[in-house]
Amino acid sequence: MRGQFAGRYLTLAFLLGIFGTGIIFQLVRIQTSPEAQAILVDVGPYTGAWRTYYPARGEIYDRNGNLLAGNQTVYEVGVTLSEIDDPHSIALATSVYLGLDYDEVYEQITDPPEGIFYIVLTDYITPDRADQLIQLQEVLLNDPSGQSLDGLVFQPHLQRSYPEGSLVSNVVGFVTREGRGYYGIEEKYNNLLAGVPVTVWVPSDPNRAEELPDIPPGATLILTIDREIQAATEDVLDSSIQTYGADSGTIIVMDPQTGEILSMATTPRMDPNHYSDYATIFPGETPYNRAISQAYEPGSVMKIFTMAGALDSGTVTPETTMFDSGVIWVGGWDIHNWDGGAWGYQTMTGCLQHSLNVCLAWVAVEMGNDNFYAYFENFGFGHLTGIDLAGEAPGRLKRPGDGDWYQVDLGTNAFGQGIAATPIQVIAAASAIANQGRMVSPHVLYAMVQNGQQHNMSTQIIGRPISTETARTLTAMLAVSLQSESSLALVPGYSLAGKTGTAQIPTVGGYDLHQTNASFVGWGPVDDPQFLVYIWLERPTASPWASEVAAPVFRQMVERLVVLMNIPPDAIRLATNGQ
Amino acid sequence: MNNVTHIVQNVRQAPWRIQRQWIGLFLLVLVLSAMVAGIYLNVTAQAALAGRAIQLLKDEISDNQRINADLETQLADLTSTEAMEARALALGFRPVQPEDITYVVVPGYVPKSPVDMSDETEHTFDSPLTPEYTQSLFDWLVERLTTPSGVTGGPR
Repeated sequence: MRGQFAGRYLTLAFLLGIFGTGIIFQLVRIQTSPEAQAILVDVGPYTGAWRTYYPARGEIYDRNGNLLAGNQTVYEVGVTLSEIDDPHSIALATSVYLGLDYDEVYEQITDPPEGIFYIVLTDYITPDRADQLIQLQEVLLNDPSGQSLDGLVFQPHLQRSYPEGSLVSNVVGFVTREGRGYYGIEEKYNNLLAGVPVTVWVPSDPNRAEELPDIPPGATLILTIDREIQAATEDVLDSSIQTYGADSGTIIVMDPQTGEILSMATTPRMDPNHYSDYATIFPGETPYNRAISQAYEPGSVMKIFTMAGALDSGTVTPETTMFDSGVIWVGGWDIHNWDGGAWGYQTMTGCLQHSLNVCLAWVAVEMGNDNFYAYFENFGFGHLTGIDLAGEAPGRLKRPGDGDWYQVDLGTNAFGQGIAATPIQVIAAASAIANQGRMVSPHVLYAMVQNGQQHNMSTQIIGRPISTETARTLTAMLAVSLQSESSLALVPGYSLAGKTGTAQIPTVGGYDLHQTNASFVGWGPVDDPQFLVYIWLERPTASPWASEVAAPVFRQMVERLVVLMNIPPDAIRLATNGQ
Repeated sequence: MNNVTHIVQNVRQAPWRIQRQWIGLFLLVLVLSAMVAGIYLNVTAQAALAGRAIQLLKDEISDNQRINADLETQLADLTSTEAMEARALALGFRPVQPEDITYVVVPGYVPKSPVDMSDETEHTFDSPLTPEYTQSLFDWLVERLTTPSGVTGGPR
């Protein structure tokens, strides 16, 4: 019986074997056929895509954690061509809600270029405008009339946003839609903030999900800027420019012990959310941040550096007396006082108090070329301060040996003529006097945060141009000068040191006789300086004298600072220091 | 005894018995192959599902990060200097003047210091899983070999 079926079994097994082998053969043949290779090539683009991931741009905060530059959602609006049912409705809706040209959109989506599957219609659409279209798309989802916005795609992404508008914009800078930072922090730290874009093959195959890249966002930066102080500074600056009829102005507030810039206000300012207004607001060669980019002849504020050098080198003491005849002859040229008068016998303190050009020119001559210029070099004039903002200008300090240096420059440089310095250079140099001889590096970056770790910047001493004793002596002289002169810079209850600077403006043929630059540099409290303030009003029309326009601005600024920085009057502070 | 041996040999060599053995063996291989294929398909399907879930979660993380950034900017808009000043003035406040201030000595007062944004949670996070669930056998072996016995022994 079994032998009877053995042949049939064998036949059946043979046929099944042939069938199985045939299947395997076909499997192999299909897999290796030219058609299979062609299919692999054809489906290649659908197995994934090359994508460039741009990390979210790092945020910028002030020293108290207030956001100065963040990111907000905007939408890219495009169409997936294969999903379009009603091109007329898409063209109509996008023209009505997004302001696009109907004919242009209709032509784009009905007659696309060969091989295109997706078309970007527009980008950077605000969420409220996009929401209107998204809601309309949902309403038309099952519309019986056949109207449809199927195929319209809304792709959200981030765009730079500045919640404070124009506040501190000269320091922060701005970012274009292409993601590149311009000016200030945005340009200086562009690489840190932008992170590193990564281009990778992103597989559609879920089994290769682990190959999806993790893109770390750009570093977060914390600035030394205090938002409240910055707002007060801009407020004081704007009102001062209006009150005194100045063309423009600059105020810098720095911590003289650390070099941290607490505020930096200049004009003009621009809301970086609308950076397309740049050319209108900054026509021609208008600097984006005068505080670091525009060198000018600061005038008499430079007398404090001349006096610092003279005291430090032992050329003079505060009690040294000179006779001011109203004129001094240096290098073949006569140098006169600001009022053209003769002030008779003066101590060095008197020279500073009355801001006597003749006296300071005499001091410079007594110091000699080498000594004088060595001190000015050490104070950093003619060199970049290295502040961490893009666009710093070096200024100009002519030195003996330069083709355009003449002996008279020694006399004029002593009172701030014939030398060009930026406000940041002057305030950095002044930090040496306020900070017991130690000149600190001015900086705007307080800390960088990356991968959850905060890295704080440390204070950098960039020089010791004068001794501690000289710094103390000069500070005392300047404090006495302000007090004796009953300066408009004084704030009741607070000991302050400072110096005005009224500078004529150089022109092609000499100096403008009618317009001036009014400056003031000052700090306080003198025994423990917490703030160092620099004021510059350009071409004030209310008065040409810094003592009448810049000194009151300093007082206004200090009155705001002592409140914002919780600095009690000296009597209270000194009385409670021991407690 | 010879009869018994003869019967046993006959039984062993019976063709139908040999066929049945082959069929049994074939079925065993078939069942094992099917099991392996089934397990492979199951694992592959689960891996694909997990991969898809990872893709979706990554998209979700990306969306959440974007939304967070957007919300943070919206919050900053609402608390900007200009907005806060306008709100304060509307509530009847006015800027403080130096003469308005009374200074009081507060023992132990620490002045405001700049913000610290370091993420402490990132460094103090402990996995809820015990090492048994995270260590490979090799890791465990290395740990046992490199850890002094006194340390792991503990009090008894």
